[in-house]
Amino acid sequence: MTTLLQVMGLSKSFGAVNAVNGIHFSITEGHCAALLGPNGAGKTTTIRMIAGLLRQTAGQLIFEGKEPGGKHRELIGYLPQTPSFYNWMTGLEFVVYAGRLSGLSSAAARKNALALVERVGLAGAAKRRIGSYSGGMKQRLGLAQALTHQPKLLILDEPVSALDPLGRREVLELLHELKQETTILFSTHVLHDAEELCDDVIIMRSGQVALQGPLEEIRRKHRKLTMELQIENDAASREWLSSYIHNVQQEIDSSNLSCLFEAAEQHQVGARFTVKDSDAARRHLVEALARHQVKVTKLELGHSSLEDLFMEVVST
Amino acid sequence: MNDSAKTLNVHGRFEGRATTGWVRYVVMVQKEVLELARSYKLLWVPLVFILLGMMQPVSTYYMPVILERAGSLPEGTVIDIPMPQGAEVLAQTLQQFGTLGVLVLVLAFMGTVSGERMSGVAAIIMVKPISPLAYIGSKWTAMLLLTWGSLTAGYLGSWYYTGLLIGEVPLIDVCRSLFVYGLWLSMVMVIALLLSTWLRSPAAAAFATFGGALVLTLLAHLFPAFLGWTPGSLSGYAYQLAASSMEDSKMLGYAVASTLVGAGVCISLSAALLSKSSTDE
Repeated sequence: MTTLLQVMGLSKSFGAVNAVNGIHFSITEGHCAALLGPNGAGKTTTIRMIAGLLRQTAGQLIFEGKEPGGKHRELIGYLPQTPSFYNWMTGLEFVVYAGRLSGLSSAAARKNALALVERVGLAGAAKRRIGSYSGGMKQRLGLAQALTHQPKLLILDEPVSALDPLGRREVLELLHELKQETTILFSTHVLHDAEELCDDVIIMRSGQVALQGPLEEIRRKHRKLTMELQIENDAASREWLSSYIHNVQQEIDSSNLSCLFEAAEQHQVGARFTVKDSDAARRHLVEALARHQVKVTKLELGHSSLEDLFMEVVST
Repeated sequence: MNDSAKTLNVHGRFEGRATTGWVRYVVMVQKEVLELARSYKLLWVPLVFILLGMMQPVSTYYMPVILERAGSLPEGTVIDIPMPQGAEVLAQTLQQFGTLGVLVLVLAFMGTVSGERMSGVAAIIMVKPISPLAYIGSKWTAMLLLTWGSLTAGYLGSWYYTGLLIGEVPLIDVCRSLFVYGLWLSMVMVIALLLSTWLRSPAAAAFATFGGALVLTLLAHLFPAFLGWTPGSLSGYAYQLAASSMEDSKMLGYAVASTLVGAGVCISLSAALLSKSSTDE
């Protein structure tokens, strides 16, 4: 496992605004990494700096152990957020052109372009002017032009965010195949896409890395036990729930070490508890339910999802 | 996955086989020329120049007839316009190119860089391993091809009709003045290119180019003794060369040299602007 790209203390400020504030991460060769975060977290700025389209205010980018000269651009394939092309060219012409600019010979560029338009599902439209393409087709064309020179690192800025569900599905499946062949870094604000594709995630919040690591490890380390309770919507039950939650909350706030709960939140006719010891907490809850004859409709034990973690990380 | 896709070996890199920067520059020039052809600029810009060039001798020749048939003169007026020399007609042709011709050329190229940057396609292109200088250079090469081609076609058209209708002009004078005037137009185009890189709005770039060209010419013509060596005086020298009445060929040499230097500076400046603004915004 070699490190393909190392980002060290990368910062970018626009005037007084710090868009990216000293971030560190590295991308391992052959892995798929997601840059995850809400809008305005600095994902696009980071990606544009890695692609060489934006000069960093401070920090370093190290490709394959070397600082980038002009050479590193041959290692990169880049797809911007909303790609635009020369509308007067045909799709095939553009992919050939992109290949030739990346240093392919005329024959190699043509051969690769033909294979790639086929692969991204544009074979039927390859000879049509790009001006007549739909958004999804442009996204796939953007992918094809980024791949012509077989880059070592494929950088994609929000590749599926602007697509309809069908287009999203197609691009995600394409990325699934591509991740077997090359290293991918892509940004998204949709956790689900990252979960589906990636080995590693880097979660960003307001210009900083809030959490990063292999997805499995993060899932394991931050997984918490939860209890989901639902009751019938009658006055007595609701009253009991309110008082129970109130007690739990007080116990949490007093930082009592023997407290079984970590967090409790109340919905309309139910509650969700994050617990330390599921057995003890369940006993505690069930006893209380039985004692007060609460009309339970559902009691479920589970684990917190990545979504919960994501929400927690980006909103605190 | 079908067969043709399988033939793409994604792990096979092309290291060692990469083409040179020169080849990529030629590829970009080919793209620019293809764009000119697809947008029909390769057709209508030379046509405008040919039309302008032919109109000058033809309208000069038929001017007495036109005035007579226009019917606004009292009966019995004797129209006696001295027929100008062929060389004068050619100089007038160049003046036509200097106004309407420049207008057409600048309008054709006013968005050549800013348009690509505004649409976002520049981001896809600039991320490739190409230098800003090659990008700007390819743009300028395409501009020069169209400028010199149109000018030559239009001027030769004018020369042919002048010879037919008014009087022969030696071809060598025509070629000299064509060369000097072409240099002037090249200078105007490099200013347009620089402004198109610098300014976001194509209209502002076009307007500033006209202004810049006008100021250069005016200054050179107002102070010929001091500024005779500047690019702005080239158009004046071209008129003189057409009329084979060149007085100061030393000054012309300086003007040609200063134009070449100026063009080089503008190109480098555009490339620097492009690489700075495309990495700082």
